[in-house]
Amino acid sequence: MEQRETEVDVVVVGGGSAGSTAAIRAQKELPVGRVLLLEKAHVKRSGAIAIGMDGLNNAVIPGHATPEQYVKEITMANDGIVNQRAVLAYAERSFDMIQQLDRWGVKFQKTQAGDFDVKKVHHNGSYVLPMPEGYDLKKILTRTIRRAGVRVSNRVMATRLLTAADGSIAGVVGLNVRDGGLEIIRARTVILCCGASGRLGLPASGYLYGTYENPANAGDGYSLAYHAGAELTGIECFQINPLIKDFNGPACAYVTGPLGGHTVNARGHRFIESDYWSGQMMMEFYRELHSENGPVYLKLTHLAPETITEIERVLHRTERPSRGRFHAGRGHTYGEDLVEMHISEIGLCSGHSGSGVWVNERGETTVPGLYAAGDMACVPHNYLLGAMTYGEICAESALAYLGEGRAGQGGEAPSRDGIDEQFEAERARLTAPLERPRGIPHHQFEYKVRRMVNDYLQPPKTATRLRLGLAHFERALEELDEVGATSSHELMRVAEAGFIRDCAEMAARASLFRTESRWGLYHHRLDHPELDDDNWLVHVNLRKSASATMEVFKRPLVPYVVTLDESERRSYYRIRIPPATAATGASTPDAVVSSGAAS
Amino acid sequence: MSAKKEFPAGVEREAAKAEQGRHAGNAQTVERFDVPVIVDEQRCITGCHICIDSCPVDCLSVNPTSRKAHMQFDECWYCLACEVDCPTDAITVKIPFLLR
Repeated sequence: MEQRETEVDVVVVGGGSAGSTAAIRAQKELPVGRVLLLEKAHVKRSGAIAIGMDGLNNAVIPGHATPEQYVKEITMANDGIVNQRAVLAYAERSFDMIQQLDRWGVKFQKTQAGDFDVKKVHHNGSYVLPMPEGYDLKKILTRTIRRAGVRVSNRVMATRLLTAADGSIAGVVGLNVRDGGLEIIRARTVILCCGASGRLGLPASGYLYGTYENPANAGDGYSLAYHAGAELTGIECFQINPLIKDFNGPACAYVTGPLGGHTVNARGHRFIESDYWSGQMMMEFYRELHSENGPVYLKLTHLAPETITEIERVLHRTERPSRGRFHAGRGHTYGEDLVEMHISEIGLCSGHSGSGVWVNERGETTVPGLYAAGDMACVPHNYLLGAMTYGEICAESALAYLGEGRAGQGGEAPSRDGIDEQFEAERARLTAPLERPRGIPHHQFEYKVRRMVNDYLQPPKTATRLRLGLAHFERALEELDEVGATSSHELMRVAEAGFIRDCAEMAARASLFRTESRWGLYHHRLDHPELDDDNWLVHVNLRKSASATMEVFKRPLVPYVVTLDESERRSYYRIRIPPATAATGASTPDAVVSSGAAS
Repeated sequence: MSAKKEFPAGVEREAAKAEQGRHAGNAQTVERFDVPVIVDEQRCITGCHICIDSCPVDCLSVNPTSRKAHMQFDECWYCLACEVDCPTDAITVKIPFLLR
């Protein structure tokens, strides 16, 4: 097996939305060749938006919203547990990023006067900016990466980070998933942009790759950061999405909202005011789904044919182009049929659930030289625009850390002490499955871990079930030593299975630790059903201890920079339409829609 | 043919078998899978790797026999990247059977 070694200033791990802007920004101030972008797939089609995205969820555009308003909304949506400084740093810079994307050629929806056409979809403020040609986004980012002169290594997956004796970052170990070659990439700064932990729960269909998130986002970044000693946070808060039953795409009731679409129960009644997701909204969704009024549907049947055509144009072309094919296969149309909805498998994602690597407003993790951005870095509700904004923030922080004299320009080279030992240990761990070609196949191992995730971690949670799950995940660590591989492709899958198992253990331990309920369904403990601000208005963080065990602890809430009064703090809990209103609304559901939207 | 192995009777036999099972190694079988990516080999260009580069989960490869693209691993996200990027429209992606 070939081994290569290279030395650069900045390694960006992952070429999705965050990684693209991180690499482009870092390259602006460094010689060509000194910024390396690693991508386990190919940058032209990688990351959460491999295909495209039809809009920005969280645009803070002057005239429509202020950064302070946005910070308030996200604090409410995330039940008070946010690092407001990090959210504010995003909100203050996001408009610059929109303007930059506009210059790069991204087409945003504009009014006839040429202003950005912002929609109100959230519970309170207006932050949604449609991108009608969002299928071009990845193409535009790839073109900009190439023009900037960024060095790209496609089909190379980071498997472990290298550290110096003082705990700072010293580089990355990479596996070429096509030829099986191993790489040591030495660098003083690493920016992790590896996406969500999206292959954690098992979709109800049982299909391993039928996940809401791009299945390439297997939680690599969570595991890489953990093993390098970085803190993670909010891992007890799970991503759960409202989906089309059996199909992995979001029903996008919220996208259809401005055009008149909404969710209803089996009786045809609306039951939530806002279809924009939050833990509180998912709790109401879950209750309705499992009540005598279930299941839940997306209702578009009342809309005009031209409105339905418009909805299909958005929903069937960008984020999930196979959606139309799915509906056609079932013989369903929006005009004639309600779309049956369900909830997704659980995952970890900073955007959706505030679970990720702990970062501050400079994108710094707790490990010197290590930065994280995008779905894996905990800035709640960051999503696509936040990923791109924090990609830049991380690049600027990395450049500042490198200082004036960079390696290769007379500056300090990354430490080489202990690198060979770390690399040899990683080579042994990573390639061991090749010595067991008749071992357990990776997909069977993965299926079992993810089935246990469903059985024991999926909310509602109890300590008993979480402990049973934890015992299985500990046993899975031993079973990993029985898993075999016959190719570099399978080796990638085994390494990913290890990331998935790590995330499952983190999720179990963090969930056990927080003995209260918070974030609606995302951390609903049947044995601790109440929200307990006296004891738990804190971050729950975890890290690898000196003895290599997983330790979970409280981190005091980062002081707020924008204060909320008590009624604002709980506004996301007033999402259910009161039964009396819902009953009245049965005959005139649209009246309920407008009263909900106007409040 | 070797004689049937002698095991103690009853509970002891079960314990002995359970112990043996822990060290017996692994047996393999090959199963047939219906996969979502269908390639029209008449249209697929030999030597073109566009779809294989596009796949975010790397489940496509060149079939060594036909030298055309095919879905090698049952790991498709049905994102349609391969279908959209194919210059000759040789690819059709179906919704996986378990979902459709």
